[in-house]
Amino acid sequence: MQDEQNAAQRGYSTREELQKSRALPPIEKVKEKRVCIIECTEEIPCNPCVQACKFGAISKEGLCKPGVVDWDVCTGCTQCVAICPGMSIFMQRIEDGKGYVTMPYEFLPEPKIGDKAQLLDRSGKVVGEGRIVNPTYQAKGDAYPRWVVTVEMDDPELSYEVRAIRILE
Amino acid sequence: MEDWRVYKHPILEFERGKEVTLYLDGKPMKAFENETILAAMYANGVRVFSRSIKYHRPRGFFCAIGRCSSCMMEVDGVPNVRTCITKVKDGMHLRRQKTFADKFAPFLNLLNLSPLAYNRMFTKPGIIYKPAMKIIRQFTGQGSFSKKIEESGEEIMGIDDEFSTELLIVGGGPAGLSAALEAGQRCDDVIVIDDKEQLGGQLNRQTHMFFSDVKYAAGKRGFKLGKEMVEKISKLKTVRVLPKTNAIAYYPMENKMLMLRSTDRGLMVKAKKYIVAVGAYEKTLLFENNDLPGIYGAGGVQTLLNIYGVKPGKKGLMLGTGNVSLIVAYQLLQAGIGVEAIVAPSFRRVSGYLVHAAKIRRHGVPIITRHTILRALGKQRVTGALITELDEKYRPIEGTEKRLDCDFICMGVGLTPSYDLIQLFNPKMVYSSELGGFVPVRDMQFRFAENAYIAGDCGGVEEATTAVLEGGLAGLYAARSLGYADEEVSAKIDEYEHALEEDRGSPFSSDIKAALQKITVENIEEVIK
Repeated sequence: MQDEQNAAQRGYSTREELQKSRALPPIEKVKEKRVCIIECTEEIPCNPCVQACKFGAISKEGLCKPGVVDWDVCTGCTQCVAICPGMSIFMQRIEDGKGYVTMPYEFLPEPKIGDKAQLLDRSGKVVGEGRIVNPTYQAKGDAYPRWVVTVEMDDPELSYEVRAIRILE
Repeated sequence: MEDWRVYKHPILEFERGKEVTLYLDGKPMKAFENETILAAMYANGVRVFSRSIKYHRPRGFFCAIGRCSSCMMEVDGVPNVRTCITKVKDGMHLRRQKTFADKFAPFLNLLNLSPLAYNRMFTKPGIIYKPAMKIIRQFTGQGSFSKKIEESGEEIMGIDDEFSTELLIVGGGPAGLSAALEAGQRCDDVIVIDDKEQLGGQLNRQTHMFFSDVKYAAGKRGFKLGKEMVEKISKLKTVRVLPKTNAIAYYPMENKMLMLRSTDRGLMVKAKKYIVAVGAYEKTLLFENNDLPGIYGAGGVQTLLNIYGVKPGKKGLMLGTGNVSLIVAYQLLQAGIGVEAIVAPSFRRVSGYLVHAAKIRRHGVPIITRHTILRALGKQRVTGALITELDEKYRPIEGTEKRLDCDFICMGVGLTPSYDLIQLFNPKMVYSSELGGFVPVRDMQFRFAENAYIAGDCGGVEEATTAVLEGGLAGLYAARSLGYADEEVSAKIDEYEHALEEDRGSPFSSDIKAALQKITVENIEEVIK
């Protein structure tokens, strides 16, 4: 029964499904620079990502249509990661044989550079351990305070799977 | 004693006041100003607040917003106080209304099954009814007045104040606040009432960012949005805000509304127009033991956790896969509380947004679809749950029962519009399963009675963002019909109508849109006559 499930029954899309719907960036782009991935496949009324992107890399045909990224234009600035209400925007980068994933983080403990963290995939399975390299935080009092955290992992393939972290204290 | 308060939270900061002391059945307890009695007792580990009338089953809280009545206690000699919406005061004395049932429940239940069942006896003749009632009230746990209050004589509530206004808005949630903002910028005299001390309604307990268009609410966290709206309204000199005020009756012949302020002041208000934005309340599920302490509504958990910073338990089970359920599961994780699983019979799909589901899946919470709960386990409080798989016809499949460990069960199984006040306007009520329950027929301008408008969840359960848009529109429609009509108002109305249409453009809203179309008419006068 488990294999028959589609994304809407399972509660998340798999890498293969996202690849089919062209949500994942081509490997050349990922190796060239940090780029954004929108894992938001349903039609829901929402548009903060379009407004947040200063470079116009994200577009939507209508309020309810899924967002589309122009990876040539995306600079990897992470503004969209910070504002996405669905927490479904990530950044991916492969450099010097290491994988990097940038994600929103709304848990405790607060992240610090060098912290070790368990890497969780879309189903919550622990798939490895990584290091936090670049946590940024929009100060409290702002419209959308949230940590945006980049984790480094030794296996670059994992950057296609890791979507959450659990910081080890 | 274990302290159940959350002191560090990734999103929220809890504003706790001075430390005070409460006495529960004589035992002292630590509490903080700003906490409700319920939150303070929960933080101290108290789980049973009252007992059911007939079989004396233990009762915890369900809704935490003053609707379910299962947290009622005697407070400083006054019986049946809803502890979930009453703030603590230093030196308060609380008493469970039926403490002896803790010890004698089995005996009392035997009595109930015998011909001596006290629920049915002593109702006739009238002479014995009154003294007998005094004793029976003790058994049923409905409380009795302290000597001091009884001696002060029977007091019948009177009307303390009577006044009129242009527009009265009932309900200070997303819809009501939005209506007050738009109407207040245009009308001369607007009143907003809410039964809570703090306006904002369900916005106050939402820590997640909202979807929708950035022009309205998107990208803001719910509790911030509520605060912003309340602040804006407080700057409008045309709007009077009456918190802790209940609308308890409406008299269509005289076009007057009776309200109760802070439980002891009667106010009679005559308004030219009314906007009813009273929201919705939570549905429950039918299963064995569903009344045990530790079984809550999802909103109840949000109130306790996100407003007062008190944990509902250590590990919970969520029922339902709608957005509310998915969001609450995530909020539990944020506060460091475990979520055993999300269980729902959903066959086709998770009923909420996939992005909300993905948020909790990636933190390792399983969503168990095609399953339902059979019963809650435990005697005095929840210690687990028994779930079972369902076949295509939603029948339990024998032999698939599974035990899950949890110390609370949280239901996010939908909301139903609050129609108590609405029906006093004599509207035409219809049942709509898509909209959550009974809703009034209305016209294109949200009018459901000659002088009353409807906005938000009470007219059909949707998202908070649609409530904000509907409220704004209702405020503008009311302002226009009160004579404040100019080009600016028409332009604003067009803008809102367009935004609402766009917001309902997703496949998630198609059923709701069709249902709303069915109950919207051209001419409301024809329907209500």
